[in-house]
Amino acid sequence: MRTRILFAALWLVAAAAGRAAAHHSFAAEFDASKAVRVTGTLVKVEWTNPHTYFYVDAKDEKGEVVHWACESGAPGALSRRGFKRSLLKLGDTLIVDGYRAKNGANLMDARRVTLPDGQVMVGASAGDGGPQ
Amino acid sequence: MQLDDTKVPKGRPAPRMANGKPDLSGYWKGTTQTKPGGNIGKDLPGWKLPLTPAGEAALKHNLTATVDPEAVCIIGGTPRHNASGLPFEVLQGNNKIVFMYWYSYFRLIPFGPGAKHTDDPDPSFFGEEIGKWEGDTLVIDSIGFKDEKVWIDENANPHSDALHVVERWTRPDYNHIHVDTLIEDSKFYSKPFHYARTWALGEPDEQIQEYSCSENNVDAAHLGFGPGPIRSDGTRGYENPAPLPPLPKK
Repeated sequence: MRTRILFAALWLVAAAAGRAAAHHSFAAEFDASKAVRVTGTLVKVEWTNPHTYFYVDAKDEKGEVVHWACESGAPGALSRRGFKRSLLKLGDTLIVDGYRAKNGANLMDARRVTLPDGQVMVGASAGDGGPQ
Repeated sequence: MQLDDTKVPKGRPAPRMANGKPDLSGYWKGTTQTKPGGNIGKDLPGWKLPLTPAGEAALKHNLTATVDPEAVCIIGGTPRHNASGLPFEVLQGNNKIVFMYWYSYFRLIPFGPGAKHTDDPDPSFFGEEIGKWEGDTLVIDSIGFKDEKVWIDENANPHSDALHVVERWTRPDYNHIHVDTLIEDSKFYSKPFHYARTWALGEPDEQIQEYSCSENNVDAAHLGFGPGPIRSDGTRGYENPAPLPPLPKK
């Protein structure tokens, strides 16, 4: 319950802060009807503008490894809400919740990231008009 | 972060320069009272812009054949930056004022007796901007705009190279800055219209930060045309998104 309350508070802060970070409309890139959860191993981090990307290797329903690109907000926006670069450690198992790209690529908007210690971080560029 | 303007103190007088003019300097943040955000038609009934047939065609082109120029690191320009959710920073001097924006864009506006439009300005995203004081109001008159790779707001509404923008900036009190914008574009809009907005002062330690837009802009290849659907409240986005999965159990 504490995690949910903390996440809700973080989300409200991020939703407001994110309005300062949107680089393009969520709906121009992602499909809000395709909510996805990806659980896998963090293999690469790009802490860059205009978006942060991190890459997760996850197994699909057939047991095959799928390489997912997870798009998040700009580094400055993430950092201001407490989502620091140092929290992402290669080899960690992450649970990433978000929405899949409209073009069907293995690319998702990482709205929510659960770290190995249970911390839940808001990864969204919330000011992009995406789901809150 | 957008601020709730009902919680922003009011009444403290605006600071003034040594020459007596209001000092518009500060880090200015949008408020949750600005609705719909990102829509240049927010002050019009039903947010309905007075598009000409050419303007309708330009809007259709933007929606169906262009990606958001800002998403490919092109300057948003005037008046789009005034409709943006992004904060901005103002530094004012005696003869010039600079508006600094996230994405590392800025506009530098001269004002005073010698500031006047040129006969044939080079087209630009912010236009050729000339300022003057009318009492305590800084009036910025802009012409000479580009007509390609521009959206006038976040919703992909268009403007042409006939755009003429008159911004009237005031600082009604210490914690607020306000603009009333007149937008004229006889090619794309059948009549002039206004866009007004108030921002609130940020914290003293807040300022524009480094932002290199083209550092790793790989998402551009995945973007569709236009901003996607526009909700019934006038903002961009989906009406009924699917919920995310429940939070993992610890």
